[in-house]
Formats: sequence, structure tokens, C-alpha cells
Amino acid sequence: MAADVRKVPEYCYQCVAGPDLLQVKVEDGVATEIEPNFRAAEVHPGGGKCCVKAYGLVQKTYNPNRLRTPMKRTNPQKGRDHDPGFVPISWDEVFDIVAGKLNEIRAKGLIDEVGYPRVAASFGGGGTPTYYMGTFPAFLSAWGPVDFSFGSGQGVKCYHSEHLYGELWHRAFTVCPDTPTTRFVLSFGANSEASAGVVGVWRHAEGRMNRHLKRVQLEPHLSITGACSAEWVPLKPKTDAAFLFGMLHAILHEHPREALDIRFLKDHTGSPYLIGPNGFYLRDPASQKPLLWDGRRNAAVPYDTPDTDPALEGEFTLDALELGADGETWNHTGVRAETAFTKLVRHMEPYTPDWAEKICDIRPGTVRRITAEYLEHAQVGATVEIDGETLPLRPVAIILGKTVTNGWGGYECCWARTLIPCLVGALEVPGGTLGTTVRLNRPATSRQASVKKGREGFMEFPMNPTDKEHWAERPAVRNAHATLVPLSANSPWSTALGPTHLAWLFRDGSPEHWPEVTAPELWFVYRTNPAISFWDTTALTRRIADFPFTVAFAYTIDETNWMADVLLPEATDLESLQLIRIGGTKFIEQFWDHEGFALRQPAVKPQGEARDFTDLATELAARTGLLEKYNRAINRGAACAPLSGEGYDFQLATDQKHSAEAIWDHVCRAASAEVTGGAAQDGLDWFRSNGYRTRPISRLTWYLFRELRNQGIRFEMPFQERLYRHGVELGNRLHERGIQWWNTQLTEYQTLPACKDFPGIWEKDATLHAKGEEYPFWLVTTRSMQYAWGGNAGIQLMDEVSKNLRGHGGVVINTSTAERLGIQEGDLVEVRSYLHGTKGPAMLRQGIRPDTLLMIGQFDHWATPYAKDMKAPSMNSLVPMSIALTDATGSAADLVKVSVRRVAA
Amino acid sequence: MTRWAMAIDLRACVGCQTCTTACRHANATPPGVQWRKVLDVEQGEFPDVKRTFVPVGCMHCSDPPCMHVCPSTATKQRPDGIVTIDYDLCIGCGYCAVACPYQARHIVHEREFAYDDAPSKSEDARFDEKRMSVATKCTWCVDRIDDGLAKGLKPGVDPEATPACVNSCIANAYTFGDLHDPESNVSKKVDSTEWFRMHEELGTDPHIFYVVDEK
Repeated sequence: MAADVRKVPEYCYQCVAGPDLLQVKVEDGVATEIEPNFRAAEVHPGGGKCCVKAYGLVQKTYNPNRLRTPMKRTNPQKGRDHDPGFVPISWDEVFDIVAGKLNEIRAKGLIDEVGYPRVAASFGGGGTPTYYMGTFPAFLSAWGPVDFSFGSGQGVKCYHSEHLYGELWHRAFTVCPDTPTTRFVLSFGANSEASAGVVGVWRHAEGRMNRHLKRVQLEPHLSITGACSAEWVPLKPKTDAAFLFGMLHAILHEHPREALDIRFLKDHTGSPYLIGPNGFYLRDPASQKPLLWDGRRNAAVPYDTPDTDPALEGEFTLDALELGADGETWNHTGVRAETAFTKLVRHMEPYTPDWAEKICDIRPGTVRRITAEYLEHAQVGATVEIDGETLPLRPVAIILGKTVTNGWGGYECCWARTLIPCLVGALEVPGGTLGTTVRLNRPATSRQASVKKGREGFMEFPMNPTDKEHWAERPAVRNAHATLVPLSANSPWSTALGPTHLAWLFRDGSPEHWPEVTAPELWFVYRTNPAISFWDTTALTRRIADFPFTVAFAYTIDETNWMADVLLPEATDLESLQLIRIGGTKFIEQFWDHEGFALRQPAVKPQGEARDFTDLATELAARTGLLEKYNRAINRGAACAPLSGEGYDFQLATDQKHSAEAIWDHVCRAASAEVTGGAAQDGLDWFRSNGYRTRPISRLTWYLFRELRNQGIRFEMPFQERLYRHGVELGNRLHERGIQWWNTQLTEYQTLPACKDFPGIWEKDATLHAKGEEYPFWLVTTRSMQYAWGGNAGIQLMDEVSKNLRGHGGVVINTSTAERLGIQEGDLVEVRSYLHGTKGPAMLRQGIRPDTLLMIGQFDHWATPYAKDMKAPSMNSLVPMSIALTDATGSAADLVKVSVRRVAA
Repeated sequence: MTRWAMAIDLRACVGCQTCTTACRHANATPPGVQWRKVLDVEQGEFPDVKRTFVPVGCMHCSDPPCMHVCPSTATKQRPDGIVTIDYDLCIGCGYCAVACPYQARHIVHEREFAYDDAPSKSEDARFDEKRMSVATKCTWCVDRIDDGLAKGLKPGVDPEATPACVNSCIANAYTFGDLHDPESNVSKKVDSTEWFRMHEELGTDPHIFYVVDEK
């Protein structure tokens, strides 16, 4: 029996669905067990539980493959085939090397000769590394310009179009159902039961068990989420937009208008706005506000005129101003104009359910049946009272998965997904489709506070300018997000939300009339492994090897830090200190009735010489002469919370080095004061014992509709005048510079999007590069709850238990297809795209389309200990990075056309 | 008299294996030994396919075949229904593993480690020599139940007195308690739902109830 047994509160944030609050049992100084923080059930919307990944943290701590000392490279040659020859060095020596390099760069200037930051940094997993890197963000803030362009999967493996369009339309960096209230969910490939974390699973399970929550899952294979749904509709890949357009047709052309929420459409959307002959809103010449037709006055009036009855449909004659792109104007007299809604109705006419079902390759009748079910469940006219306020109740939601919202078709899917709820008044209301958080708009802490009314009556959005005077002609970072993607805005997250694969792609040569994309002189990497997790990984590995100096904060050797110059072992999850914000609303389904802070703390001593990341950041700041700026950044709030506020001041002295304990004690005190309105000022010791501190918040903060209604703001649906204008202007700017290679992307800027042959884009790309080969299958992927992307692929326990689920580590293939090809369960098969091949055991399933293959997790590691012995296939080496497969937001989809054949073991 | 039982709502289970790992932690089982695990079951033909996740382990049968075949009387059943193994009596013959229709029993003859050929600190800290070359299986975390009862806690309600798999479930699929107490969580669940028991036709009277629908 252990003499000393403690339970230490912690958080786990290995994936974007976190944090989970947990406790670790420590026996005689050794971490032995993970369990939920049972007390947290009082505030945590997932019963205070933690998911399977958290249980890997004990093995992670004691993994014998960990790096235990700083290391430096001895082999100057870099590449997969060159052993780096890492040798142990002291912390003093590694700090000398890194600070020396940083000081050398600082002396030359922070920006290189082309105009890019000389220092770059890449962090993985949707921002989750920030929950483990202590005060390193304060160091980066003190440093100045840093290029976050080199992604590890952002833009191709996230909800990219949703991030951008979602924030534009309803402050929805990601989208989810109002699960505790909704009754009917259409899920287009959103694998929520594997990727929405504890809170998502908890809420959906409650709905299935207690409230007859019905979910229909539409996707090419029967995922975990499909398994837990009432119905699976096996759509052909990339035909989701056709299904949604078929629904729109059915709603607008086959159901009576009474099925719609007419009041919502008239008063809370741009549906009644009148459209000019050039495709822009018709405006009041004096105020330049868009016009609608008022049935009471029988005249066109500005949209915000009081006491109107806006005409939803019809064609009218009026005098008006039309504002085009680049300042072009038209003054119309007696012009005939339709409402946006009427244009929409006509626009959707060709997209019949029968047409959609052929495209989607599904059973006839499915689109009409599901549309009818959606409308039945919408309960148009119902209301609910929350904290004394009456809101519409619309218990229907539509959500989209990653490959659906990424790449070509993403815009059309996001548009339809946002528009359909508008038709029944189900956007941002109880039971409906909700946004979770903001990353592009500011302030980042409040969706509500980010809502400001623009001239057109919609929410303002911080578009990157496209007008001649303000367009960012010279990219300031290597993925050129501000130059090419107006929607990516310019927040601290924007670089990572730009077309991050372009930075890698252009390293092999810039396209015509584009500046050279230089290598960063120093690249920081932490909790990211793009050599495995991005695409065309063979080429990408070569590009990493070209970087002259890479600093990796490292846990074990991996495929990316194989090319590093120095390795700095950080004290990991159960060994180091950090306080983070919890609660409020956040992706993926984190909707709390509380908000506050939670602590991660050393439950055990760091293994070897691993050091707390905060101490590493402080030392780097001190050795680069940035200590004062670094401390000031912490005081401002770069480490979780501002250290001063009304009635409290716990700011650090800016001229000294502070220990991690001292820094986090100050942060804890400020957090205590913030969350209690100054009543408590408890520091680190209090949080060490209690783990978290929260205060209740109103559930009204979940629903953005309330804020729009209060401010008289409309949802920017259905007509996309603003996007169209920016697209035209962007095209003008690029063409003025002679750039024609972004022309296809410019076609995405449409006022009412057309449904294109999206699968055909991939099919044509494969045909173009086929060289006589045929690639008849679609290769797709899906999320696994056991793995936080590949970040914990070296944890034995995760490998072991993931194998209880069919598909991990192999190639999932339809049983009939396999029989036709002479493939049996367990046979080694090779899957090839025109780019590359990968091998793995065949796993035969009925729950997958005959034309589709599936690989879960992409773990063809060759350097990471343990993971490299898994010998798993990976689609990442098969998927090309290309402009042709990149949409206007700079994203591309995790999808590729392939062949499959049995090969000798 | 108490009769412990478990209900698992298959409408909720997402196959995440959190219970599998929580059990591995709580009971310090070696790599590959999963007293609790979740099966991934597919039925039907494309496109009419169903996929279901089914947590399995010792069913703590009222008429346990493992006990009847045990030549050393190591396997016993407590009055509260929990089937136990006395490691001091078990000779590791494996009859029980063959007899169990639920494949719930495990025998390990050599120490195995998560990494390489050496134990980690945590593996060393939890190693129990008594578990070598004997049959092992789910105990419903009997020590927690007994210790919890001694402290006046209620198994199935108070986490400290409740099996680790139940505590860990992120879908709230598990219910545990006294089937003879009509007010217990598990009785209420069983009384209010449609359920089945695995291989009930074998007459073992298993005490995991798989909930499939409301009544």
C-alpha cells in the first residue's frame, strides 16, 4: 500500500473539444490513475467527466521514449534519410544557442528582405498548444512580428469555410446544435460523437435517451456518429451541397409559405432587400441604406424605417442608387427590382430533390422526406422564456463536418446550412443552429460584444480591404491571407486561418507575379508534426529540411523535429503550471452555464531535466533583452488574464525574472478577483487545492439572435452583396498585377451561389495527372476520439483501446467491393493516388459506400517512437497540395481519388 | 439482500473506450488485458447497415459457469451477486476462461509492459505479483463498493463507492446499483426500459442489462 496518496486536480486540453476537468491519483509521488473531477459535475456541462485521451496522460508522463535533456543536432545535413545525430547538452548551452540566434536576427531586423518575419512559429491542434505553453505567447508578443503561416493541417483539416463564413453570418467560428433543446439534427459528416468531446457526447446521449432527439447522419461511411444516429444516408463524397440545395428547393417550391417563419425573414434577414440590375442592393440615395418595399406605404424605404410591412416577395418599380465595386455607382430611375427572397426562389428552381438524389447517389424520396421532417420539427411560431426573456423556439439544427466545409463546395454548404435555419427562424435561437465562439472578430471573449451594426443593417465584419488604396498588395506573411482572402480578417488567429498550405506550396517556387516565399531564419515548433499531419508529406518534409534553424519544444523525437537544430524538453501535462479560462460558449459543443478559470499543475516532478514552459519563455525573454516587454505582456493578459482590473492590481515587476510559480500565483490572484468581482484574491495555493473557480452566467449568452434583435441587426441572408463586391475588387487588384492563377477562386464570390459539380473537381484533377492510371475510388478520413490528431500516437494505451473500434490502423473497404477485387479481411492492400501510395491491412465493412475507402488517423510515422512501429497507412502522403483544389477561402478538403489493390505482405 | 446489477444504455454508448481505459487504470491491468471493453458490432448489408457499440465484461451471472468448472474453488459468488476469484486458490488452469460465454476472463503468465521490456514507474507502483498466472476479470470494483459501504456511501450514486467504468462514462450510459432496491438507479432504469441480457438463453442469469429503448 502506498504511504502517501493524493488526488490532484488538472485539466486536459489535448483536443479542441476541451477542456476536461480531471484529477490524477498520485501514490508516493508516482502518478497512477486518471479519473473525472467529480466535484466539477456541479459546473461542467459534461458531468465533470474526461474523455479517453486523458487516460493516456500517465503513460505519457512515464514514456521511456521521452526526451529528458536538451539536445543539439550534430549532422548539418537535414532530411528524412539523414540521422540528425542529436547529442545531449545543458540548458545553459541550449539557451545560449537559441538566444544567440534570436539576437543575431534582432540585430538584422525582424523582417527579411522580401518583407516576411524572420521568425516563424507553428503550433498544432486548433490552438490547443497554447493551453500547455505557459507564458510563451507573452514572449512572442514581446518579440514582435512572427509568421504563423506554416500550418500543420489548418485550412485542410479544420472547418475552414465554416470558420470564415460562419463568423461573417452569425459569429460562428464553428457551429453546433442547441443540443439540450433541439429535437432534430441533420449532420452532414460531422462526427460529433468522436470529435465533440465529453460535452458533445454527454448532451447528445442525454437527448437520445430522454428526449427522442433524432439525428440523421449523411456521409459516405457509417461513422461513430452515424452509428449513434437514427438514420444513415450514404451520400457520395462532396455532394452535400446538392442535398442541401435540394432541401432548399423543396422548402421554397413544394411547401406552403406558412411552413416558413415569415416574420423572421422579413424583420431579421436581408430577404426583403431590393436587388439592382447590376447585382447590388438598391439604396436610398441620401443615406445609402439598402431599400425594401413597404406594403404599408406602398413605397421603397430604407431597411430600418420604423413601422413597415416589408414585402418578402415581388417585383417593384422605384428610383434608387446602386453601389458597385471599386466605387462604381448607378443612379436608377424607374428601375424594376425584385426582392432578395424572390431572387432566391427563382435561383433555387433547378435544384429539385430528384436532381439532388441523382447527384448524391441516394434512394429516391430521401430529400423530400427529410425536408418534411425538418419542417415538421421546426415548430414555427413556438417560443420559450429564458431568464425572463421570450425567444423563438426552433428545435431543428443542421451541422457540417470537416471535409464538407473545407475546399470547393464549402461556401455553398455553409450558405445553405445558414439559410435553411433562417427560413424557419432557427438560426441562433433556442433549439436551433448556433455558433460557438469568435476567433476573427473582437473581442475574442464575447460573441455578443463583437456584434456591431453596419451600414447595410448586418453585422460589421473586419474584412481585409480590397479597395485600391488599402489592399495589402505585398503579403506581410507567407500564406498571404490578408492579400488573397478578405474573409480571413486580421486577428491574431487570421494567419493560421489563411491558406496555410500555400506557404508550404510556394516554398517550391512562387506563381507568376508573386514575391518569393523565403524560409524563416528561425522556426519554433511545438505540439505539431506537419511532416505527418499535413499533405504531400514527402515534399513537405523536404521543405522543412530546407529551414536553416528550427527550435523544437519536444516531448519525443518525431518526424518534424527530426529536422530541428535544437530540442528543448518541456515539462508535460501533469508536470507544469498553467491557468486557463473555462466556460462560456466555445467549440465544439462547450456550452456552459458558468465561466471562470482552471489550473493545470505539477502532480509529479518533471522527468529528467524537462522544464516548465513558463520558465523556458522567461529565460528566452531575459537572454534576448525582452524581459520588460515580456513581463508587460503578461501584465496585459497574455497569460490568461490581465493582472490588474477594477479594485485589484497584481502586476509583475517588469524589470526582473519571475519563477513560473510566482507568475502563475499573480495570474491566479487576478483571476480570482475577476471571477468574484474583487471579493476573492486567492492565489496559486487555492487553485492547487480546488482546481477551478467559476461564476454562473445566463443561458441567454448562448443565443446571438437576442443581441441582433436588440440592436436591430439582420442576418446577412440570403443575398451576398458584400462578398460579391469584395470578390470583384479582389479580382481587379490581382489582375492589375497580372495575377491570373487565382481566377477560379474568384468565381466563388457569388451573390447567390450555384451548386457546381464539386466531385468533378477532384475527378478532373486526378484525370489530369493520371498518366494512364485509373483512380476510381474516393479516399476519405474520419475523426477518432482516442487520438488527438497524431499528438498522442506514441501512447500505447491509445493504440490498444482504439483497436477495439473497427478501422483503426487499416484501410476500410466495402465488403462487396473487396470481394470484387479479390481482397479479404486483413489482406495487405496498396492505396495509390497520382501522387503517392500507402499500404495497410484491408478492413471489410458493410457501412461504407462501394466507391469509397476510409483511413482513420494518418499515422505513417517513421521517427516517432512506438508510433513508427504501428505501420499504419496514411492518406496524407497521397493528397496533393494544389491551387486547383484550393477554394476562395484558401482551404482544401481531405479528399483524394485513389486506386486500391492487394499486394504481397 | 442486496443484488448488485448494471444497466448499460446502448442508445447512449459511443464506443469511445473511456470505460476501457478507466478500468485499465483503476485495476492496473497490464497491456492488452481489458476487464471492460466496448465491442463495435455491424449488422446488415449496404446501405441498410446498423452499427452498435456494446460494452462487455464479466456479467456477474447468478449461475456463473466459471464457478461451476473451477476445480480449486477459487471462483466464488458473494451473496450480493459479485463473482470473485481468490488468487491464493486459483491454479491458473483456465477452465473458467473456456467456460465463460462472455470471454470475460484473462490469464497472464509473463509481465508485459506498455513500452519495451521494462516497467514504467507507474507500472512498477501498481504491480501485483498475485495476479500472475491466475484468472482475472472484472470485479465491479468490489473494493470500492465494500470500502464505500463501510463509509456509508451508496454504490452507483457516490463515485467513491462506484465501479470505475460507471464513473468514467462520458455518455452516462452506465447505471449501477442494487437491483433489489426498487428505488435504486439501476432498478428504475430496468423497470422503465426495454432491455436484453447477453446470451440469456444459456441460463446464466447475467446481471448486465442492455437497454435498447424506453418502455
